[in-house]
Amino acid sequence: MQLTRGRGVVPTLSLAAALVALAEPAHADDVVVLDTSHTLFYEAPTKTHMFVYSPSADVQASPWTWLDVRAGWEADVVSGASVATKAGSAYGNIHSPDVVTAASVKDLRNMGRGEVAIKGDTTSLTAGYAYGTEHDYRSNSLHVNARTDAYQHNTQFELSYARNFDQVCDRVQASAAVLPSEWTALEDSTGCFTKAAAGRTTRDIGVDTYEASWAQSWTPVFVTQLTYSAQLVDGFQSDPYRSVVLGEGIKAQEHEPNERAREAVTARFAYYFRSLKGAARLTLRGYHDTWAIDSGTAELELEKSLLESFRVMLRGRVYKQGGAVFWSDDYTGGAPPLGPKGQYWTGDRELSPFWSWLGGVRLVWRTAPTRRILGIISDIQLTGSFNVTDYSYDEYTLAGVPVSNALAYVGTVSASIGF
Amino acid sequence: MKLRPELLIFTVLSLTGCATVAPQQRAILADPTMQFDADAKHEAALHHAIENREGSMGGTGVSGGGCGCN
Repeated sequence: MQLTRGRGVVPTLSLAAALVALAEPAHADDVVVLDTSHTLFYEAPTKTHMFVYSPSADVQASPWTWLDVRAGWEADVVSGASVATKAGSAYGNIHSPDVVTAASVKDLRNMGRGEVAIKGDTTSLTAGYAYGTEHDYRSNSLHVNARTDAYQHNTQFELSYARNFDQVCDRVQASAAVLPSEWTALEDSTGCFTKAAAGRTTRDIGVDTYEASWAQSWTPVFVTQLTYSAQLVDGFQSDPYRSVVLGEGIKAQEHEPNERAREAVTARFAYYFRSLKGAARLTLRGYHDTWAIDSGTAELELEKSLLESFRVMLRGRVYKQGGAVFWSDDYTGGAPPLGPKGQYWTGDRELSPFWSWLGGVRLVWRTAPTRRILGIISDIQLTGSFNVTDYSYDEYTLAGVPVSNALAYVGTVSASIGF
Repeated sequence: MKLRPELLIFTVLSLTGCATVAPQQRAILADPTMQFDADAKHEAALHHAIENREGSMGGTGVSGGGCGCN
């Protein structure tokens, strides 16, 4: 089940991982590397809850030093509830309606991916493809990446581009429903992407994502990375299932603009404290888009090596954003900031003004014995992490009922084995 | 003041040329704790969950596929 479009191209593999070059990769000499991870996500804000299990598996083969071939799969198994109809405080105070529907959500997202990387001493070229399916969504994604080192490997430049050709399922509107305010939300995903798709249609979403990075080693203990990211989204970005109450007797399918241009600048700093045998990593990000959402992110990670094989990391993160220009908690009226906001309407809490914090811990154990385990395994890495995040919504309500207890818990375990 | 790209590029290249960390000094830079994304695959699911609950993007790469926006 889709809640918001345009964020569908969020990364699942960070291409920036290679930016701090000369760092010896954990599996530098391995011919084959297997990775698997398993993540549980749970949140239970007011009147809704969501549970997601996300497994993944990847394999990388390096038949020659100049070639990496990768293939992978990941999934999201989703169950919970979502807000099917959005109304705000002004409407709710008068009508006390049962417009907040804890609609049942069950969905399965599958994604397969493949990637080829050609590597030289100072450069690498990477190209990949990913295909994702959900009951109501299809995604075809191509990406390319080029990286080069300069100045004795003290400097790295990287350029990346991705193009998504996506489709989302929607209902066929009645011929008499000409205006968006007359459109009805999709009831469920039955019939989506099937030959007998009576009453169903598909809407296209094209996404272009660009990224340019510059990483720099300034001293033997200090590195930085500066990244510019841009994304152009063109197509249906609303939640087809969600309705918004617009006035007396008027309830319409969510209606967001088709075009969205997004850009962000991210600065990252890492400093090593010799006395502590650990490092501090700071990330600062500023973001702006044409829906008038501005946001800022600050994240601090403290990581220390323990003994020969362990690393422990503590993380803190703070995020704050303003709302989209067409965001209103209640389009039926009321004192500002309530009221209609032009030709668009949304019930998406992610487009409302809010702030959040996150705290977490991660533990890594890695062994690389001099003799191969069982004669074939050259190294093993096990990683576990747990994070808690809390969202505080400035304006978003469920028919006037503030959303509280918006705590989300994310736990991940992963293993990486090199052969 | 209008930003001139050629000046920005010149400044970046000038700054980067001044930084000289010799190969024999790079041991700490190679330490996993100094990597911004040493455990990128492990962190991917967390980034996925976070970014689908925020109105923002950027800074963590471009590849991916599917929505998974729940």
